[in-house]
Amino acid sequence: MFASVQSPALAPAHRRYVGGRGMRRSRRLRQGRWAAILLSPTMAIVVCFIFAPIGLTFWISLHDWSMLTPITQMKWVGLSNYRQIFDDPIFRSALVNTAIYVGLVVALTVPLATMIGMLLYFPKHRGRGIARTALFSTYVIPTVAVAIVWGALYGPSSGPFAAMLKAVGIPAPAFLSSPSTALVSLVAFNIWQMLGYYTVLVIAGLTQIPGELYEVARVDGAGFIRQTFSITLPLLRRTITFVVLIALINAVQVFDPVYLLTQGGPINSTNVISYDIQRTAFQYGLAGQASAMAFSLLVLLVAIAGILLGLLRRRSS
Amino acid sequence: MSGLITTSMPGAMSAKEPRPVQAAKRRHVFRFSKLFISVAIGLVILLPLFPLYWLVISSLKNPQDFLKSPPTWFPAHPTISPFKEAFNAIPFAHAFLNSFFLAGTATISVVVTSMMAGYVFAKYRFRGRDVLFWVIVATMFMPPIVTLVPLYWMISRLGLSDSYLGVLLPWLANAFGVFLMRQFMADVPDELIDAARVDGASELRILWRVVAPLMRPAIVTLGVFAFVYYWNNFLWPLTVLQSSTKYPVVLALAQLLSFNMSAQYQNVVLAGALVASLPTIIVFLFAQRVFVQGIAKTGVKG
Repeated sequence: MFASVQSPALAPAHRRYVGGRGMRRSRRLRQGRWAAILLSPTMAIVVCFIFAPIGLTFWISLHDWSMLTPITQMKWVGLSNYRQIFDDPIFRSALVNTAIYVGLVVALTVPLATMIGMLLYFPKHRGRGIARTALFSTYVIPTVAVAIVWGALYGPSSGPFAAMLKAVGIPAPAFLSSPSTALVSLVAFNIWQMLGYYTVLVIAGLTQIPGELYEVARVDGAGFIRQTFSITLPLLRRTITFVVLIALINAVQVFDPVYLLTQGGPINSTNVISYDIQRTAFQYGLAGQASAMAFSLLVLLVAIAGILLGLLRRRSS
Repeated sequence: MSGLITTSMPGAMSAKEPRPVQAAKRRHVFRFSKLFISVAIGLVILLPLFPLYWLVISSLKNPQDFLKSPPTWFPAHPTISPFKEAFNAIPFAHAFLNSFFLAGTATISVVVTSMMAGYVFAKYRFRGRDVLFWVIVATMFMPPIVTLVPLYWMISRLGLSDSYLGVLLPWLANAFGVFLMRQFMADVPDELIDAARVDGASELRILWRVVAPLMRPAIVTLGVFAFVYYWNNFLWPLTVLQSSTKYPVVLALAQLLSFNMSAQYQNVVLAGALVASLPTIIVFLFAQRVFVQGIAKTGVKG
């Protein structure tokens, strides 16, 4: 059936023979119809369950509404939900907690992923494949299970971390049960789970760097540090920006371990924004305020993503 | 894998292919001692595996061993009773069926709808195509928590709260899937599709008989990705489902955790966590070569 595949030279001739002007126009029409048919399932889901809800989030955020009553009893309050949440010290601390959490995740994962990516790509050494598999395997474990495992690792008496610290004579912190260490302890969950994924993206970026550059640099006598900072890192800029963006979006969503292990505590120290939104909506029934929080989060993320992509574009031009 | 796939997609495969002849000269200078590199790679293998090791040994400990302080690094009296207890405490087996049904249906739907949309974005030309594509892809970066309230309201307005269909509806298509499929389909030579069109094949037939067979790595990648994503998804089923008979495994696991907060049942909870992770780990181990390369491809041109 597809004999022309084997001899590509045949294909254009074939096309010229069949395709006149009218033919091309009718094909375009036919293509338009097919495009609509093939796109419709995805478009239907995206429009109904992503775009419409984004609009509704904003609409609800302008109202006073408990989710227990019908939406027709929603009361218009303008921007007062926004005023209330930004006056609320708990929501403000949720913003700060989220910023600390996300900041730590990004600041630790991105350099680690870059270094491990270089380690697993450049030197020819045994064990690289196994390392990649081991590192990536944590990505597929349910976050609920991750929370349970790390909860056990942080255990105060029967956990291995406390035992190891005690063995070298350092008093073990209370990890998840102390307000000063709980949030930082949660950072490890995300790094452990996601580092392999980001490393794979970095390695993919490294494969795109032309080898000739290293050859030239080598002739010029550039060593490891020089090559890293003059070739590898500058050419990885796109990849690294992409990884920063994904790591940020992923970390902002932290919910499962907070919901399961700390419930935002102790003393609100792990109350992050997604947990605050869920709790405000589904436990306190304040849909209007929860929507105001959610929409503020969206605006914030769009702004951050815009700044990141803008920086990337300006530097590359 | 057929030769056609490898030749038509050099980018996807280059990570595994042997380097060209002058390889050594064309690589980053990496002058560290062999010992240093060995140790570093060893750490990259062992550190991620340590929590998994701890998960396995803890779920094999009996309560006395489990509560020992300092903890033992190997179960002195290994037992499978924590697993039995986990299955007795909650309807785990049923939760598995629920998860397989939910994640399986969503995965099949996402693969099919993404192939259809990816084909249009890769191979059709029409005004606004790229804008539409990037608008869809942008939604990939929106955290689901942003739309949780209206989404829940919509699902309950449709009378679908506490139903499988309510969980599944928003899962039937996925922006990342569309993105991934377009990336892979862009590498299919246009001549192949034009030739089939000239032969009078319909677009659906081309997609199914010409393009799909070349998309095996993409289908595996997206299939694994979607299965893992929907199997692990916690927030959405938590929001929609109320009756525990409909719970997927992750919700059942959360239930087990809240039942058994007391310390002597922690090994049971850990055993449950291990069991709940097995399907995704097994799927990953089977598909990992293709999957990891496929994920890598999404980062190259993105």
